[in-house]
Amino acid sequence: MTSTLAPPRVRQDAYVGVIEDQELVAGAQAGDEAAFEELVRRHADRLHAVVRRLVDTRHEAEDVTQEAFLRAWRAIGRFKGDATFSTWLYRIGVNEAHRRRERRPGPQRETSLEEQLVEPREPRPGPALVAQQRALHAALERAIAELRPDLRTPLVLRDIQGLTTAQAAAVMELGEAAFKSRLHRARLTVRAAVAGYLPEAPDV
Amino acid sequence: MHPMLRHPLRFGREHRFTFEHASQYLDDDLDEAGRERVEHHARLCPKCHELLAALHRTISALRELGTGPGEPGDSDVADGVIARLRAGR
Ligand SMILES: [Zn+2]
Repeated sequence: MTSTLAPPRVRQDAYVGVIEDQELVAGAQAGDEAAFEELVRRHADRLHAVVRRLVDTRHEAEDVTQEAFLRAWRAIGRFKGDATFSTWLYRIGVNEAHRRRERRPGPQRETSLEEQLVEPREPRPGPALVAQQRALHAALERAIAELRPDLRTPLVLRDIQGLTTAQAAAVMELGEAAFKSRLHRARLTVRAAVAGYLPEAPDV
Repeated sequence: MHPMLRHPLRFGREHRFTFEHASQYLDDDLDEAGRERVEHHARLCPKCHELLAALHRTISALRELGTGPGEPGDSDVADGVIARLRAGR
């Protein structure tokens, strides 16, 4: 019980040892479209994965991702490099996702993430563990979709996408203490919602 | 005698501390003294023991969501962005 979780790894291994983002940003700032397109290829999937859980549909997530890169391209001249490119880009994407949610009339969502991701209530026959895992993941997706946006974003950035606290707080332009407080509340809420699905694990 | 009955005020204070700092404990984000307070209390308090265990399992499961296979069609995301950028030029 007393061991702690290892800090999350930031998944940046795809482009270790090649041209740094910084150089591509400098190229893009000089008007090099190919340099910016390389930044798109590096970051689009991860930004999409973040945004996917902040909006309701996959279509909307793709649109927000595209919009974020369009905004980034237009604003690249003002990018000062006091954050990393990915932090800056995530901030644009997260803000755009929040803007969409605020604009939407009424609290009801048309096609929820839950409806798209949740497996049928009766799990298909199969190994019990696989079914249990699938039920847990579906319950998590439901719980995440129901979180308030100001709690959901910290959880998505930190726990699902594996950003560090410092990176995730920087994306949200929050102090670390405020970020940690929201993350804790988000985790408590999700934990309560999935309590019945958690496996009985031996003490760690 | 159970420590909650022997030192109810102190127990309540440590209970709140543990509840409030459970995430930071699990993220290895507490100093030595804070870590010891949480661990000491969790040994005496079944509720906090269970909270830490359940939060740990919740965080692990959330991490699995992030490392699982993407949805089909996700690889087209970059292509879609690039197409839209080029269309706008
Ligand atoms: Zn307690």
